[in-house]
Amino acid sequence: MTRSPVTNPYLLVLPGFLLAAFIILWPLYQLGTISLSEVNRFGQLRGFAGLDNYIAVFTDPDFLGALWRTLVWTVGIVFGSLIISVPVALILNEDFYGRSLARVIVMLPWAVSLTMTAIVWRWALNGESGMLNSGLQAIGIIDTNIQWLARASTAFPVQILIGVLVTIPFTTTIFLGGLSSISDDLYEAARLEGASRWQAFRQITLPLIRPFLNISIVLNMIYVFNSFPIIWATTQGGPANSTDILVTYLYKLGFRFGKLGEASALSVMMFALLLIFTITYVALAMRSERQ
Amino acid sequence: MEKHWFRGAAAAAALLSATALTHAQTLRVTVAEYSSKTGPYFEEVAAAFEEAHPDADVQIEVVPWDVLLQKLTTDISGNANADLSIIGTRWLIDFVDQGIAAPLDEYMTDDFKERFFPVFLEPSVMEGQTYGLPMAASARAMYYNKTLFEEAGIEEVPGTWDELAEAAEKISALGDDIAGFGLQGTEIETDVYFYYAFWAFGGELVEEDGTSGLDTEAGYDAAALYKSLIDSGATQPGVTSYNREDVQNLFKQGKVGMMITAPFLSNQIADEAPDLDYGVAAIPAGPEGDRGTYGVTDSIIMFENSENKDLAWEFLDLLFTTEWRQKFTAGEGFLPVNPEVAEMPEFADNPDLKEFTALLPDARFAPVIPGWEEIASITSDAVQTIYLGNAEPQEALDGAAQEINGILGE
Repeated sequence: MTRSPVTNPYLLVLPGFLLAAFIILWPLYQLGTISLSEVNRFGQLRGFAGLDNYIAVFTDPDFLGALWRTLVWTVGIVFGSLIISVPVALILNEDFYGRSLARVIVMLPWAVSLTMTAIVWRWALNGESGMLNSGLQAIGIIDTNIQWLARASTAFPVQILIGVLVTIPFTTTIFLGGLSSISDDLYEAARLEGASRWQAFRQITLPLIRPFLNISIVLNMIYVFNSFPIIWATTQGGPANSTDILVTYLYKLGFRFGKLGEASALSVMMFALLLIFTITYVALAMRSERQ
Repeated sequence: MEKHWFRGAAAAAALLSATALTHAQTLRVTVAEYSSKTGPYFEEVAAAFEEAHPDADVQIEVVPWDVLLQKLTTDISGNANADLSIIGTRWLIDFVDQGIAAPLDEYMTDDFKERFFPVFLEPSVMEGQTYGLPMAASARAMYYNKTLFEEAGIEEVPGTWDELAEAAEKISALGDDIAGFGLQGTEIETDVYFYYAFWAFGGELVEEDGTSGLDTEAGYDAAALYKSLIDSGATQPGVTSYNREDVQNLFKQGKVGMMITAPFLSNQIADEAPDLDYGVAAIPAGPEGDRGTYGVTDSIIMFENSENKDLAWEFLDLLFTTEWRQKFTAGEGFLPVNPEVAEMPEFADNPDLKEFTALLPDARFAPVIPGWEEIASITSDAVQTIYLGNAEPQEALDGAAQEINGILGE
């Protein structure tokens, strides 16, 4: 069969590809160029530097710490929100009085800008006048104020918690979509066969929403890995870089210290890391789906 | 139909030439947002300027301080920077090194120079050329809460750090939510809060041999003093979660006995806590009588690639007339940089400002070194580590000094 050039798939994909190249590949190329160059404080190129910028980032002791925390941060938030969102979606999928109101309430935090949420949390976490301390004292859990943001051992877990909270609405929405695509007949048949609710969940619900679980994990992984506002608004990565993740470290490197070459090198590494993560995960998920 | 086409083309051409014309006379000014009054103030100046220059269109871009350097970096790398911009004078060296700031001497007459106190003009002179004009100046002094002093039975304002420690403990004993000394422990200028004691103990940020002065007795003593204040409960708890605004808020609420900060706190107190009975005093001295305050100026610079330098200069000329300076300085609560403004009764008779101006002979400015921001950040990290008790003062400061020496040696 011969194709007319007008219906050639490559030709049809071309406009979309060009647009994507313009907004993704071009900046990536620029980033690569800067990362291999000597750059002054204002982003003007001053000659070829080879891998110097990459080596400088690798040998910075703060880099490894930030890398490790990025891992904890991403895994913590993605799976934390997953574990909470599944039951929330199951409940919101049931038919009960006031369900639409409950759905709106769960979705509301999504409508607020992330930076705003983070700033409100910063106030709530204030050691002396924060809502959290006075709330916990009122119900008798703590006797003295906790200085949440003063050290990493309390600040970082709280930041992950905030991350989980703001990720729930999006994750729940995806799961709700998945749940509504499962036909009620399946559950009815299972009930007739004498399956318990837990069995129905394990054997019907979970396998059928697996593609939705996977897509939420991939999308959340990308968002969370690059998420800047929560940490920046609460601690700016401090005290002493102990709550820095790669993006906040990147921001400091680029805009505070003016090391744009190293910052670009770090960006390229982050991009590669995220790409590897995502491809590996998608490959694993697809393989298990085929089985 | 043809006629339409012609008319359309003519209109388009006219429009094009009109935009070209206004474009040639557009003056973009990036300003830092010091307070909610900054934007309206500059809009007013712009309106006055446009009235005198009907063909000029002044565009004011108000940028919050925190992101100013980021915006300038992005603008400059994209060749989209304004004609004039306010910058922190400590950044100026990078702008001059890279040929981004334009020298102003050819425009400056002796008459113009006399509008300024020489001490404020000096920080922006590099290699014999003036690259910036002092827009804002401030120094630091100690605010103290008179009511808390009275309750704790303290009669004299502490003149040395030993006296301060003693007074702070007495005030802290007044109640659980009262702290004697407000200590800033996070974000911008955490290092500066440490320098107040460091300078008093005779420290120098950069020693004569060009290395960091943090790893000296002065550094260890100052850090040990702050740490002992924290441990004895003389400061607010959890200092590493308090930035400057947080400590200022505690002071405004009457929960802190003493804190060191800039003159603008007086304006904030007048607006937000007018009943607070406070005083302003010198920063305490060290055992040998040394003391130091931090002097900061912000400059307005002209960009080398500006296409309207003459017009930009005329704008600066208007900005630095006594009438506009008076309005700016009073509105923002800065120290006057112009003698004529300083002589006006609202500044000359202001007791708070007098304390600050009296400190100016002891003022130290951030050293003019490329990479200063990184050095400040290393220092902040080190003092945070000490405040948290994660390292001994000597260990943390020696490590920081070593890192800083690496930057200084470059």
